[in-house]
Amino acid sequence: MPQLDFSVFPSQLFWLCITFFAMLFIMSKFIIPKTAEMINLRKAKIDGYLQKAAELKEKVEETLDKYNKALQKATEEANQSLQKTQQELDASIERKQADLSAELNRQIAEGEKKIALGKAKAQQQIDEMSASLALDVLKKLGFDNFKAKDINAAIKQNGDKL
Amino acid sequence: MSNPMEQFVIKPIIPLEIGGVDVSFTNSSLFMVLAVAVSTLVFALCLRKRSLVPNAAQSAVESIYEFVQNLLKENVGAEGLKYFPFIFTVFLFVAFGNLLGLFPYAFTFTSHLTAVGSLSLIALLFNVLIGIKKKKIGWLGTFMPRGIPFALAPLIVPIEMISFLSKPFSLTVRLVANMTVGHIMLKIIAGFVIALGVFGVVPLLFNSCIVCFEIFIALLQAFIYTVLSCIYLGDALHEH
Repeated sequence: MPQLDFSVFPSQLFWLCITFFAMLFIMSKFIIPKTAEMINLRKAKIDGYLQKAAELKEKVEETLDKYNKALQKATEEANQSLQKTQQELDASIERKQADLSAELNRQIAEGEKKIALGKAKAQQQIDEMSASLALDVLKKLGFDNFKAKDINAAIKQNGDKL
Repeated sequence: MSNPMEQFVIKPIIPLEIGGVDVSFTNSSLFMVLAVAVSTLVFALCLRKRSLVPNAAQSAVESIYEFVQNLLKENVGAEGLKYFPFIFTVFLFVAFGNLLGLFPYAFTFTSHLTAVGSLSLIALLFNVLIGIKKKKIGWLGTFMPRGIPFALAPLIVPIEMISFLSKPFSLTVRLVANMTVGHIMLKIIAGFVIALGVFGVVPLLFNSCIVCFEIFIALLQAFIYTVLSCIYLGDALHEH
């Protein structure tokens, strides 16, 4: 078995040392630094981006906080203004309502006065018509001695009773 | 049918001798050089156009880089990242050695005890040096875990020494056995393709599946070799 031929050991060891250390030299001087350079550069860049992202996030949170505070303040102001307006509106409505109801009361009173006047006038006409009617009836019945004055008095008496 | 072990024979290409020791440049050495050259070339090509937003090639290199880095972080911890180039090189050296060996007529140096053993020896020495550098004389505590009565030392110290030295051995044998068996299997089944004539299409299909499987094994074994190297490195850095 050629594997067990140890006479080649010096040659194998010699050439292995030369080639292995040559490769170690090439790798550590050229290949590894070249590879590591790009990996580290990329890592640095990514870390930079991550840091930038973190900073931006912080900024955004700050702005959001500010915005929320401003919003709260604005809401409070708006609520206050709304309340004030509501109060003013309520007062105005109340005032208008009072005016309206006074006007209505006045109109109602006026109307009632007119009605009362009409009613009195109508009563008077009825009275007059009743008197003349009663006088005519009495005349036709032959009671000529009745005078309009008496009838009027009688009617007035009855009307008062009613 | 040719001998399936023939593919593992080491043949000198350029005979060389230093101080009476034969250090000829062999087919195995050639593929070690190729592993270095190909991996460097592939990585250099992939990293030719680098950008913050990587293209597919750069992404692939970065994935391998981060994969090995995570492996080291998980098994050794953040302090292990200092030794990243070593572990990264081990992973690529083994992975490319395994993968290059899958090409027809190629030689798989990771199927040789002497080659992988040398690599494991380098890793072992590396761990020992790091351990001594980190813990100074306390490194000797590796062979005498804390809390064990001193009377047991004559028993524990040899056991711990054997366990320490068996680590690179098991690392080597695992990789070598996997690679050797895979290649023998490929070769034997390839022999059947010729021998069975028309029906050779069956072993041919089977062999195609095995090649795919071997690619997976090549990467998996490189991964296992690296993970275990990481664990041994972790042992060297941390207390028992």
